[in-house]
Amino acid sequence: MIYRGQKLTNSWRIALLALLFAVGMVYLVMSLHRVQVVNSADLTRDQVRQSVRRVQVPGARGRIFDRHGICLADNRPSYCIAYYVEELRQRGLWQRTIDAVDADIDRLAKVLGLPREISKDRVALHVKTSLPMPLLAWSDVSEEVVARWAEEVGSFPGVDIYVQPERYYPHQSTAAHLLGYVGRDRPKSLPGQQVHFYLPEMIGKAGVERQYNDMLTGVCGGRLIRVDARGYKHAVWEGTPAVEGDDLRLTIDLKIQVALETALAGKKGAGVVVDPRNGEILAMVSAPGYNLNDFVPAPSTITWNGLNNDKELPLINRAIQGRYAPGSTFKPVTAIAALTAGEVTPDEAIHCDGVFRLGTMRLRCWNTYGHNDIKLRKAIEQSCNNFFCELGHRTGYEPIRTVAAEMGLGVKTGVDLPFEASGLLPTDEWKQRNMREPWRVGDTCQIAIGQSMLLTTPLQMAMLTAVLANKGRLYRPRLMLREGAGECVREMHWPDATINLVRDGMHDVATSGTGRRVQIRGTQVAAKTGSAEYDSGGQRRKNTWVIAFAPFEQPEVAVVILVEDGVSGGYTVAPLIHDVLASVFGETPLAEGEQSFPWLMEGGVGD
Amino acid sequence: MIKLQQILGLLRKLNIPMFACMIGLCVTGVMFVYSACSVREDPDLQMLYMRHAEIALIGVVLYLVILCVNYRKIMRWAWVFYLACLALLVLVPFIGSEQMGAKRWIFGVQPAEFAKLAMIMMLAWLYSGQHKLNGILLYLATGVLVGVPSLLILAQPDLGTAMVMVPTTFAMMFAGNIAPRLVWGTFLIGVIAAGALLGVIYAVEKVDMPQERREALISATHLKSHQIKRLQVFMFPDKDLHGSGYNRRQSEIAVGSGGLRGKGYLKGEQYMLGYLPPSVSANDFIFSVLAEESGFIGSVTVLLLFLGLIWPGLWIARCCQDNVGRLFCVGVVTLIFSHMFINIAMTIGLMPITGLPLPFISYGRTFMLTMMLALALVQSVSVHGRKPETAFE
Repeated sequence: MIYRGQKLTNSWRIALLALLFAVGMVYLVMSLHRVQVVNSADLTRDQVRQSVRRVQVPGARGRIFDRHGICLADNRPSYCIAYYVEELRQRGLWQRTIDAVDADIDRLAKVLGLPREISKDRVALHVKTSLPMPLLAWSDVSEEVVARWAEEVGSFPGVDIYVQPERYYPHQSTAAHLLGYVGRDRPKSLPGQQVHFYLPEMIGKAGVERQYNDMLTGVCGGRLIRVDARGYKHAVWEGTPAVEGDDLRLTIDLKIQVALETALAGKKGAGVVVDPRNGEILAMVSAPGYNLNDFVPAPSTITWNGLNNDKELPLINRAIQGRYAPGSTFKPVTAIAALTAGEVTPDEAIHCDGVFRLGTMRLRCWNTYGHNDIKLRKAIEQSCNNFFCELGHRTGYEPIRTVAAEMGLGVKTGVDLPFEASGLLPTDEWKQRNMREPWRVGDTCQIAIGQSMLLTTPLQMAMLTAVLANKGRLYRPRLMLREGAGECVREMHWPDATINLVRDGMHDVATSGTGRRVQIRGTQVAAKTGSAEYDSGGQRRKNTWVIAFAPFEQPEVAVVILVEDGVSGGYTVAPLIHDVLASVFGETPLAEGEQSFPWLMEGGVGD
Repeated sequence: MIKLQQILGLLRKLNIPMFACMIGLCVTGVMFVYSACSVREDPDLQMLYMRHAEIALIGVVLYLVILCVNYRKIMRWAWVFYLACLALLVLVPFIGSEQMGAKRWIFGVQPAEFAKLAMIMMLAWLYSGQHKLNGILLYLATGVLVGVPSLLILAQPDLGTAMVMVPTTFAMMFAGNIAPRLVWGTFLIGVIAAGALLGVIYAVEKVDMPQERREALISATHLKSHQIKRLQVFMFPDKDLHGSGYNRRQSEIAVGSGGLRGKGYLKGEQYMLGYLPPSVSANDFIFSVLAEESGFIGSVTVLLLFLGLIWPGLWIARCCQDNVGRLFCVGVVTLIFSHMFINIAMTIGLMPITGLPLPFISYGRTFMLTMMLALALVQSVSVHGRKPETAFE
């Protein structure tokens, strides 16, 4: 066969192919340009999104101090035994890694002599959702366990001690309701950042821990982790460090708080001590209480159910959530309303024969023999029901309601605590709506002596007492210590004569009236006792009150104590007020042979 | 000494740019196979780049030897080579070894790769014009010569390798002006069939119809389920990003995140973190690794290197004074272009995923050797084909 002379294929065909290939090349270059230059930013972002994980590390929680700088809530290191699952990774299915970790936890449990704290499901969940994070197999272990682990450290790769801050309350159950408690939850993410993994952060669940949570919390630090396609950590970049939370200084005075708590120990009730000059809360107690450290790191099921199902409701902060009829402690309000309305003069005597009659209604005075003809100042001292029912009858409800509202009843005080109750200062409309009955004069008379539908919280009564103490300034109560004067909600412009008369009456209550057991040597006290009956499973019981302030001329504290199921304010509560005031002002020691107001402790116990 | 002078004379006729570009591509290949395998845990797999370099070196030696031999002498034996390949392909299902669900290897080589070269040689020989065959017979002969090995390859299964023969055959028939009407007719039918297939895929996805009809339509295509999935992913890229669409998506992210300048050598993140599966990053998806690390600049450089094979290849064809050389060159160039185009297009989602390597760069020893031999023969055409000879006998 001969090649020479054969007909060659056309060269233009080859040229056409060359053109075709050139077009293909240009197309590829253009496509690559689109992907690598035009869309590069989008695709780079996609890559970051699939491979970069943001981890949040909470900052240390701020501490809480009393007004003198004594620590009420602190952080302590809690030693946890943590698994770094990545170091135990197995090839192949995830289940193999989960099995390996699970088996290793069993092995370590034997060495440490601890029962397992986490289930296999928990391990599986951790592997699937938060692989790069430490898996806390045992939380808050003792030093002994840490020591035992340290001896065995070599045979347990991937296990390490993880130190986690934990809340600690040095004074155990002191100020429990006030401080609240913390739980752990995922931290709030910073705006615009998607968080993939986090270490749980302490979050206030009640009390000031909840109220000032944002301030105490601090700012989460961030860390970026690059993970491979299987989710294992590939590289870590330290991001922003966590910022510690701010410390919180409370207006609480630990000494007074402890005294108030001691006074209420073993009782059911609440007490509040405020500074009438600025509304600062010096002490606030609700009894019974609980030990705050039982809530760390979380309350055990037994503790929680025990507290939750307790009939005495230890989790309720009675000082702000309890609603009680104020009883006779309301009488100063009625007195001011009547005086302001001009329905009574200081020198007018009203007759008391032991029973107040209005139509068919009869209201008995605590003194069944009656107080005879009695004037206002004496009526406060003796807490005469007849007198104040008559005042109520004369004055009418509206002026009384106005004065009570001015003094802060019926609305929240605005204290910096969550879940405050507002009490109840009823109106005609309210009664129509809720009880489907019209307002009767009898209601006015009942409310004039603090009974019936009227409900107040101990804190409201404390602020009311402060108004009486400072002659007409209602402050907003507060727990956070701040510079400057208190926040005055309202200033009442009562005539001096009016407020002084009521205060004088209260002074007499403490010196010779129903509340004489509040007296302390060396300081003049003013007080008012009270009791309100309530029905408890068919039995008549009494909530007993005393409101007091001292020193009489320049009051520095206003105290309210309420005891549920007491005998009477003067008998049950007044000695407690005495103890608290004694802790505030001190008591001049008894001279030799002298008795402590022996004559005061006798006689009537009515309010 | 005369021998030596002769050889030097031959080397003077060597197409230097083409040789240089081939070496450039080999070096690039070794570099990025190293890169892609550096993250493997198995030490054998880490050394993959050495084996790539070894075969490239062997290939270059063979290349230099073969280009000295007149291609006409080799073409004479094309049928032997072809039959040998065919025999190996027949043997593959019986004694071949299986990797990743496909039986392609026999004694460590993939006969399918050699078969491509064998087919091109056979066709060049067939179309040389010396057999006095008419168009229809040539057409039928082509069908048999290409069809039989292709079916064997398809059965492995290796769709990509079989598919790449389609443009190659068409280009050779076009260049040789073989049975033009039949060729264009076949081309038209092929286009219509492909259009119909894509239409079915589209309809199944987008048109509301009962499930049974959907399944009936899919089964009517006679494609395997993974092939259907690949086509679906190609048409609807956002479908099933964690399943069948995963590789395409990750590959696109790799290429795109490379940007203009790339992330730097050995700094690619997609393969390092395993988002680009390590099983494919060294071979079928090597371009993704390359594009991520060297960016648009690197990608275009590689395209230019390929241009440095294709352009001289066609020039050699044009300068060749006989049809065997011409058509052989056209076949080889089309094969290389098809490989390159399909592979790169697939990594950026312009084509359905098919397991087709990128010449000289993807790890694959048989394919590397095949490509070297093919280019060596093209060089031989360059060296020996400028003067017409009577040398076929």
